[in-house]
Amino acid sequence: MSNRRMLVFNILRGAAAIFLALGVGFIFIVLSSDEPLNALRYLLIGPVFRIRDGVLSFNTTSFQTILAAMIPTIFTGLAVCVMFSASQFNLAGEGAVMLGGFVGALCAIYLNIPGWIHPVVCVLIGAAVSGLIMLIPALLKVKLGASELVTSLMLNYIIMFIVLHFLNYYFADRSKGATQTFSFQPTAQIPALIEGSSKLSWGFIVALIFVVIVALFMYRTKWGYAIRMIGINQPFSKYSGMKVGATIILSQVIGGILSGMGGSIEVLGRYNTYLWRELPGYGWTGITIAILAKNNPIFIPFAALFIAYLDKGCQLMSTYSDVPSEMIDIIQAAIFLFFAAEQFLAKYRQKIVVKNSRLEMENNNLSQEGRNA
Amino acid sequence: MENDNFIIQMKGISKVYPNGIAANRNVDFFVKEGEIHALMGENGAGKSTLMKILFGLEQPTEGEIIINGEEVSLTSPSDAISRGIGMVHQHFMLIPSLTVAENIVLGMAPIKKGILIDYKKAVQITEEVSQKYNLNVNPNAKVMDIPVGMKQKVEILKALVRGANILILDEPTAVLTTQETSELFKELIILKQLGYTIIFISHKLNEIKQITDRLTIMRGGKSMGVYETASTSEQEISRLMVGRDVILNVEKDKSQPTETVLKVRNLEYTNKWNKKMLDFLSFSVRQGEILGIAGVEGNGQRELVEMLFNLNTPDSGTITVNGVNIINLPQDKIRDNRVSLIPEDRMTYGIADAASIEENVISDRYTEKHFNNGPLFDMKMIHKESDKLIKNYAILCKSRKQQVKMLSGGNIQKVVVARELSSDPILIIADQPTRGIDVGSTEFIRNKLVHLSRAGAAVLLVSADLNEVMELSDSLIVLYGGKVVAYFDDTSALDDTVMGEYMLGLKHQSPEEIERVCHE
Repeated sequence: MSNRRMLVFNILRGAAAIFLALGVGFIFIVLSSDEPLNALRYLLIGPVFRIRDGVLSFNTTSFQTILAAMIPTIFTGLAVCVMFSASQFNLAGEGAVMLGGFVGALCAIYLNIPGWIHPVVCVLIGAAVSGLIMLIPALLKVKLGASELVTSLMLNYIIMFIVLHFLNYYFADRSKGATQTFSFQPTAQIPALIEGSSKLSWGFIVALIFVVIVALFMYRTKWGYAIRMIGINQPFSKYSGMKVGATIILSQVIGGILSGMGGSIEVLGRYNTYLWRELPGYGWTGITIAILAKNNPIFIPFAALFIAYLDKGCQLMSTYSDVPSEMIDIIQAAIFLFFAAEQFLAKYRQKIVVKNSRLEMENNNLSQEGRNA
Repeated sequence: MENDNFIIQMKGISKVYPNGIAANRNVDFFVKEGEIHALMGENGAGKSTLMKILFGLEQPTEGEIIINGEEVSLTSPSDAISRGIGMVHQHFMLIPSLTVAENIVLGMAPIKKGILIDYKKAVQITEEVSQKYNLNVNPNAKVMDIPVGMKQKVEILKALVRGANILILDEPTAVLTTQETSELFKELIILKQLGYTIIFISHKLNEIKQITDRLTIMRGGKSMGVYETASTSEQEISRLMVGRDVILNVEKDKSQPTETVLKVRNLEYTNKWNKKMLDFLSFSVRQGEILGIAGVEGNGQRELVEMLFNLNTPDSGTITVNGVNIINLPQDKIRDNRVSLIPEDRMTYGIADAASIEENVISDRYTEKHFNNGPLFDMKMIHKESDKLIKNYAILCKSRKQQVKMLSGGNIQKVVVARELSSDPILIIADQPTRGIDVGSTEFIRNKLVHLSRAGAAVLLVSADLNEVMELSDSLIVLYGGKVVAYFDDTSALDDTVMGEYMLGLKHQSPEEIERVCHE
C-alpha cells in the first residue's frame, strides 16, 4: 500500500516537474516571441502532427525521425543507469559513444565480412573497445581512490582528440572536402527498419531489446543486485561479502560497452561514412534521461522519447516561428533542475512518510495487544 | 540549596526529541563558580543533550536556565558564547589547512588597512593567551600537522579568547594518550586557580577522582544526584552509574561448552591517534556457550569486533575460527567459514536502507546455486526464502517488497538478525544486538541467541548494557583499556556492583585467573 503510494507520488512528482519546466519554458516563449501561441503549437504538437490549411494530420515521417533520434540516447541512458546505480558518477559515456562510433566505422570500412554479420561484428568491436577504455577511470577509482567523476570527465577530451588524430592523419578520405573516412562497405550498413528519409534503422529494435536485457540484468541477476546494493550502501555490501572493487569496475565497463554500442549503431545506421569531429552529445543526454527515469531501465525509452520529442519540437519552433532554438536548453535545464532537486515536494513526501509510520505503529500496537490478550 | 555562588543553574530540564525519545527528564544541574564539576554517565544517559542545551545547540522542552543569577534563553551557540560559555567538542571543530593562530582568531580576526587580516597581530594574540594560561601552542603550525593534544589546547584557547569563563569539555581525554591527559589536567587546574569554571564530561572514574570537586551523575535521562567528589567512593559512583533498572528474564538451561571455535591470541592494535586500543588481548569462545564482553564503551570492543570481521587489521596477534586464520580474509570467505556478525552500527553495516526487505535478507547468500538459474536469479526460491525469514523472525511488515528504512528500529534489527542467524553459523558475533529497540524485539533476539548457542553455535556477545551481558552470557570477560581484566566462568552469582568496579578499572583479576578464558 505505502509502496504504491510512493510510486504514485514519484510519477506525480515527475509530471509536476515536467509541467513546471514547460511553464518556465512558456514564460520564455512569451517573452521572446510575437506569436507565442503559434510557437507553442509547433513545440507541443508539431513533432507528430502536420497542420495544413487548419487540418490536423499525423506526420508519420516526423514521428519516425523522433524514434530514430532515440536510438543512441536509449543506449547512453541505459549506460548511465548502470553506472549511477552503483553510485559511480562516470561521465565518460560521451567519449565512449564517439570511440564506439569511430571503431565501429573503421571495422565497417576495413573488414570483409558477409552481409548482416558485418554490422554485428562492427558493433561488438566498437562496444568492446569502449568498455575497455572505461577501465581507466574504474581502475583509478578502485586502486588509487581517484574520483571517477573527474577522471571520466577529462577522459572524454582525451578520447576526442585521439579519435581526431587518427581520423585526420591515418583514415581521412583526402578526396572529400570535409574531414571524413572512406565510405562503409555496403555489407556493414545497419538496414533501415522503415524505408524513407527518417533514418529509423533496426538499431531501434536492438535498443529496445537492450532495455529488456539491462532491466533483467539489474533486477534479476546477482551482478545487477550487487551493483544496486553497492550503490545504496557500500560498507553494507562489503560486510555482506560482496566483491566491491570488482563490481565497481564491472558497472563502469558495462557503461562503456552500452555507450560504445550506441555510438557504433548510430554511425552504422545513420551515415555511410564517419564524420563526427566533436563529441556528439549523446552521453550528456543519457545523463538527463537516466535521471528522468530514476535509474530504472524500464523507464529509459519513455524518458528518451520525451527528450527526443522536445528536441524535435524546439527544432520546429525555431524553424517556423521567431523563438530561438536555445529555448530547448533552457527547458531541459529547468527539468533537470526540478528533478535533481531532492527537496522538490519534500514536505508532501514527508507527510506520506509520517502517515505511514504512524499507521505502522498503530498496527504494531494492535498486534501486540492481540498477542497479550 | 542556596543560590548565592551558583554560576549555572539548570532547573527541571526536560528534552523530548521530535522522534519521541526523551533524552532528559526533569534534570537539575547546578555548578558553582570556580569549580571543576564532573558530569558522569554512560553513553545515552543524556549528558550530551544537557550540555547541548547549555551551549544553545538544542532548546529544552521544559525547564529554565539561570546563568550568573539571570534567567536566560539560549537559542544559539553565539548566545551561549556571549554569556561566557565555551565548549570543547569531542570531535574538534578546527580548520585543518589554517594555522593555529588563524584558527584561534577565526571570525574575529584583527584587520589592517580595512580588508587584510593582520596575521602578525593574530600570532601576537595567540602567543599572549597561550602564555597567560600556560597552554603552549605553536601559532604558525598548520592544524593538520599538530598532535591531538595540541589541537585540544587550540580549542580551549579559542573558547578563552572569545571570553568564556565557563568551559564545557566533552570527554576531553577520550582521544588523548596518558601523557597528554596528565598535561591537560595540570592546565585545567591552572585555569581553575585563575577562577574559571569547568564542566568535565567523562565516564572514567580515576580521572574524575583526580581533578573534580563535585559531580553530577546521570542515568537514563535523569539526574542521580550531586556529590562531593572527595567524600564519594568509587564503588558508590559506579553503582549509581551502571546500576540495573529492569530485569528481563531469558530462560536458558546450563551451557555445555564443547570444542573451541574462536581463538583470539595476543591481539594488539594502536589507532591512528596513537592510542593503544587492544593490548595483548587473548580469549576463546567454545561451541555451546555465550561469552559476554562487558565494559564501558571505548575500551576496545569496537576495534575487536572490526578485526573479527576483517573490517580493520590488527598490528599483531592471531584470530582463528576452527583453525582457519581470518585476519585479512575477505568477508565472503569469513562467511564461508560460518561466521556471522550482528553489527553495532546497523544502519551503516547491517542494512541497505533504500532496498527491500527481500534484498536485505539475501545479501550474504545471493550467489548460492539454488537462488540462481543460469545467469538469472530464481525469483521463486528467493521469494520463498524471504517469506520464510519474515515469518520465522516475526518481522512486522506489509510485504517483502517494503523498503527497510520504512520499518521501525526493532524490525530493522530483526531483518539483520534474520539474515545473520539463518546462515547456519558456527560463530555468532552479536555487537549491541538489542540497543535502542523495543522490549518485544529485544526478548525475541535474546531468545534466538540462547537457542542457537544451545544448538551448538559459539556466541560472542558484546554489549554496553550490563543487564544484557549478565543475563544472557554463560561466561563473561570484562574489557578495560583493551585488556581482559576479569573472567567469570559462571555469571549466575555475579553482582553488578562488583562488575561496575571491574568495568571502571578499579579492580582486576590475577593473570592466572584471566588466562582461564583461553581454555588451554
